[in-house]
Amino acid sequence: MEVRDVVCTVCGCCCDDLIVEIEDNHIKSARNACTLSTSKLMDHRERLESPMIREGGILRDASLEEALDRAAQILSEARYPLLWGWSLTCNEAVSIGVELAEVLGGVIDNNTSICHGPGLIGVHDIGISSSTLGEVKNRADLIVYWGSNPVHAHPRHMARYTVMSRGRFRRSRRERTLIVVDVRRTDTARLADLFIQVKPNGDYELLSALRAAVKGEELEQEEVAGVPVAEIERMAELMIGCEFGALFYGVGLTMSRGKSRNIDAALSLVRDLNSRTKFTILPMRGHFNVTGANEVTTWLSGYPFGVDYSRGYPYYNPGDTTAIDILRRGECDAALVVASDPAAHFPAGITRRLMEIPIITLDPYRSATAEISEVVIPTAVLGVEAPGTIYRMDGVPLEAKRLVEPPEDVKTDVEILSSLLERVKILRG
Amino acid sequence: MELLIRNGTVFDPLNHVDGERMDIAVKDGKIVEDVSSRAEVIDASGMIVMPGGVDIHSHIAGSKVNTGRLMRPEDHYRDYEFRRPQRRAGVGHSIPSTYTTGYRYAEMGYTTVFEPATPPLKARHTHEELNEIPMIDKGCFTLLGNNWFIMDYLREGRIEECKGFVAWMLEATKGYAVKLVNPGGVEAWGWGRYIIGLDDPVPRFEITPREIVEGLCRINSMLRLPHPIHVHTNNMARVGNYETTIATMETVADQASGSPRNIHVTHVQFTGRKGSSWVNVRSGAEEISSYVNRRGHAELDIGQIIFGDTTTMTADGSFQYLLHILSGNKWANADVEVETGAGVVPYTYRRSNYVNAIQWGIGLELALLIEDPWRIHMTTDHPNGGPFTEYPRVIAWLMSRKARDKTLSKINKTARRRLILPGIDREYTLSEIAIVTRAATAKSLGLTDKGHLGVGADADIAIYAMDVEKVDPSKEYRLLRRAFRRTAYTIKEGEIVVKDGEIVKTVFGRTFWVKPWVKGDLMERVKEDVRERFEEYYTVRFGNYPIPDSYLRRPQVIRAGG
Amino acid sequence: MGLILKLKRSLRVPLDMSPLTPDNLNGRPLDEIYRLELWEGNRKTLLGDIFKIEEVDGGDLTIEGDLSKARRIGYMMKSGRIKVEGDAGLYVGEAMRGGEITVEGDAGAWLGSRMSGGKITVEGDAGDFVGSSYRGSREGMKGGVIKIKGDAGDEVGCWMRGGLIWIDGGVGCFPGIHMVDGVIFIGGDCQGRAGAEMTGGKVIIQGYLPTVLPSFRTSEVRGKVKVDDTSIQGPFYVFEGDLNEGGSGKLFVNIGKNSHIAWCERLIGEVE
Repeated sequence: MEVRDVVCTVCGCCCDDLIVEIEDNHIKSARNACTLSTSKLMDHRERLESPMIREGGILRDASLEEALDRAAQILSEARYPLLWGWSLTCNEAVSIGVELAEVLGGVIDNNTSICHGPGLIGVHDIGISSSTLGEVKNRADLIVYWGSNPVHAHPRHMARYTVMSRGRFRRSRRERTLIVVDVRRTDTARLADLFIQVKPNGDYELLSALRAAVKGEELEQEEVAGVPVAEIERMAELMIGCEFGALFYGVGLTMSRGKSRNIDAALSLVRDLNSRTKFTILPMRGHFNVTGANEVTTWLSGYPFGVDYSRGYPYYNPGDTTAIDILRRGECDAALVVASDPAAHFPAGITRRLMEIPIITLDPYRSATAEISEVVIPTAVLGVEAPGTIYRMDGVPLEAKRLVEPPEDVKTDVEILSSLLERVKILRG
Repeated sequence: MELLIRNGTVFDPLNHVDGERMDIAVKDGKIVEDVSSRAEVIDASGMIVMPGGVDIHSHIAGSKVNTGRLMRPEDHYRDYEFRRPQRRAGVGHSIPSTYTTGYRYAEMGYTTVFEPATPPLKARHTHEELNEIPMIDKGCFTLLGNNWFIMDYLREGRIEECKGFVAWMLEATKGYAVKLVNPGGVEAWGWGRYIIGLDDPVPRFEITPREIVEGLCRINSMLRLPHPIHVHTNNMARVGNYETTIATMETVADQASGSPRNIHVTHVQFTGRKGSSWVNVRSGAEEISSYVNRRGHAELDIGQIIFGDTTTMTADGSFQYLLHILSGNKWANADVEVETGAGVVPYTYRRSNYVNAIQWGIGLELALLIEDPWRIHMTTDHPNGGPFTEYPRVIAWLMSRKARDKTLSKINKTARRRLILPGIDREYTLSEIAIVTRAATAKSLGLTDKGHLGVGADADIAIYAMDVEKVDPSKEYRLLRRAFRRTAYTIKEGEIVVKDGEIVKTVFGRTFWVKPWVKGDLMERVKEDVRERFEEYYTVRFGNYPIPDSYLRRPQVIRAGG
Repeated sequence: MGLILKLKRSLRVPLDMSPLTPDNLNGRPLDEIYRLELWEGNRKTLLGDIFKIEEVDGGDLTIEGDLSKARRIGYMMKSGRIKVEGDAGLYVGEAMRGGEITVEGDAGAWLGSRMSGGKITVEGDAGDFVGSSYRGSREGMKGGVIKIKGDAGDEVGCWMRGGLIWIDGGVGCFPGIHMVDGVIFIGGDCQGRAGAEMTGGKVIIQGYLPTVLPSFRTSEVRGKVKVDDTSIQGPFYVFEGDLNEGGSGKLFVNIGKNSHIAWCERLIGEVE
């Protein structure tokens, strides 16, 4: 059976033109899927099949009821529980997560805080001049990738949305100029018309110089962040001279020295450019629904991540109410982890903190976090076995489909979280 | 479930009830003739009873609203709501979180609210948020005034196909009405450019805003949609823009020919200015009112300014950019491919600021100079003019010359001199307030079961603790404000949801959307035609674009035409 | 009446200390103070269950123990004195209007955030965002004095509008970011990006600064600079900026410690 218009649930591109061949509840093949996408669709890793509870130091199989009861008990007794993950699941699940945090008086934080959080923090101060990806496809004659390597991390980005795409007013590669800014000559940089190699951690200075050049200020220094001023001025000229420019930035910018202020500078640069021409900026979100997690959390609580409900109302301050910081200070006494593997991805010191507290993990696979959890509940894979709403990196909503049935007795995030919420409401009164 | 609201002073303009002592009977969510003795009784003696408020234009849900929330943590952190047994936690001020939005409307006795600017490609987002706004019935208007397909169809004179397209769009987005924002101008802004008038052609589309307005107005009538085209006119950023407003109304006057209103001009305060520079800007309210009083085909809503801090947000990207330049405040922009745009800029209206004081005056002058209250609805274009929680303040200004004078005494002196507002004696009656906040808006939207308390109406009722026998609202406007801030009771679909200003129950309302009838083969032809260009213009698949009915928590379809 | 509060047990989750200011405690009988409720994580705990309370002479409020998990000591205080004998946690002196706070250990992030008056002294180190605004707001520290004997973190004086932040030690990156007015003195080294996006005010660096942002203009050389009544000896390179914000803030960089910035000398009209 062929299913068309399938929405991919891997990276923030959320390509929705996949054509999937299904036979006997298995995905046999997928067309239009990049390697990352195919990997997920045809993922044959060993699945968690049964809920588990830790007893006598060992994880043993348990019924779903037992697991949910134990999970609800752990979370309800906690005085500062952390609800983490959320970007690899659907909006409907995130919504329940926010209510859970509210009922529990806990903190709900999502992957944004270790990835593109700096971008959102920059928006608080500067705002953001942005657009949907189709605006770029149709209008942009200048594309900049900064600290982002789409050839590897967002394989179809350039073909679907930027330099290789075909829109109403721009039809081919020839009609676009590509600038890449990175610390080394990546595979994306090799495709660029202009490659600017910036000294590692020098992005803020370079953005500052670019802003000055765009404003027509003379730069006193001969070189900034390893880039000769003549090149900076050339880049500024290209940016001012285009008809419609688009700047895409990735973790190279959010995670290097300066973090949210790097984005502050990039947002300011694009804002400044709008006084000369039309310019837009977009974050290259890595997870397929981290944008959705931000949006849902924002409309329910007012804030995009790191929301602390412990005092009965939503409070937000990254650095205080964000997972890494809470764990670093040893303040959290229980955690719910949904579709994420912090034990594998957090810095070692932070993972040690995680090991000190009881964790409930909801995941399709036996992740490193599952291994150190008190309760583990298997879940269906979003976009393959479970449907749900997701938001692309530019905020466009899409509906991920269910393509095949999950393994027997494995439920969706929405189902598990709803049951958990019910129990918690009873326990917390 | 039966209720009997006893002995209240009822204002129900649609049924010609003007301050009569009456009982209102409720059963199973509807107003009925009478109820049994088992009914719960509410003693409404000495209280005002009105239909629940119907807000025709308030930015409460969707992509740009959420961008506003994201951009302004400082808007929320001082105004928050604790979690309580019957209500969720949240944050407030100018861009409340979804639950808080619903609660605060219900506390004021409002039971229906329309989100006026929905970008089709992101309509799912709007509906997701609407689904999580409790207490009120709702709907959203679909942005169509800068749509590529529409502009192409109209330029080519293909009005039939354009009609089919509009019908398809309303169904695909589960929208309620046709919304135009700076028609043609937002497409120009897609290139960072500006449109300067109704006859200024849209770059690369060679169609004028006038042609877009006329075309969509005609289509709106052809489809017999319940609400007229809802228009945010061009030139919002221009100092003197009242002429564009009048010209926009005039351009569809000949189409109206005897039928009721065929154009709704929204937040007209923002496009009701006269003058050539910010130093000498004046009110254009007299001119606009004069036009509206003479011509019956147009209706408006005010978009009143409230002094204080708020957040401006519209689909008019070019206006928002210029406001950012003028104010120096942070700025968000969100263009949407093929369709529209958006901009968000925080803003503080100051009494001492000449322009803001004039703006404040324009809204009230319009409301007071336009003779027919059925054609001038009360809004603040929330949150652009101010948060909707300030509606009681506007009510007080409309009903009390004293309240107006008090504020006038504190505004910029030059502005005060140049406004005619100080010389206007008129004071709204409670009946007129009921008209501009519920009866007229419900009627304008074609919601026949709302905005009134006749038998068969939805049992959406607001009871305000103010005794008309004892309190003269014109003199005691503070009591008036207090009464309208928090109801004694709000009843939604026959259930008491607010008591003594407190939420007692969280309920979820319905989402209304309009399904226009068109001939089967026209719809198919249009879809085929659109599909060809769809994948070239858009970055999503045609099949993934329309929103299924099941997406809405409690959908309520209204069929049009046919 | 003065009080000594001694932590009875170690803190496991955040403890909100905001009700405990001299203004709020003054005049209250001891048993009422015992029963004051504080948020400890998501539960309310009685003050008397967390702290041993002792009345003493004088008017000071002294807090003893490891309060690194505490929040908001001295929140919005108007008068009186608080002394913390130990580490003090996040948001010390947030929105403070007057009075004095002394921290004998380290203070966490957001020390003196949104402060408009009063004095805070930290014997140890402070975290990020000293004297800053809240997220999205341009209202940083407006007045008052913060003195840190050790080091501070990133973004000292973020969106600052007035007052003085004096740091004997070094700081991280972005001191004075978005600064509108006020003075930041840094006795030690700065890790970079001083004065980023500032529009006014002064940032003075006595130690090492790796680079000056390209959006700053070399202005002059000055022998010394005045901070309140104190004259700080330089000499200093003085830069003006941030030009990207149309700013006229001033960055004073100690010449002796920053010979690598000597390239700017050729741009100076006259040397004092």
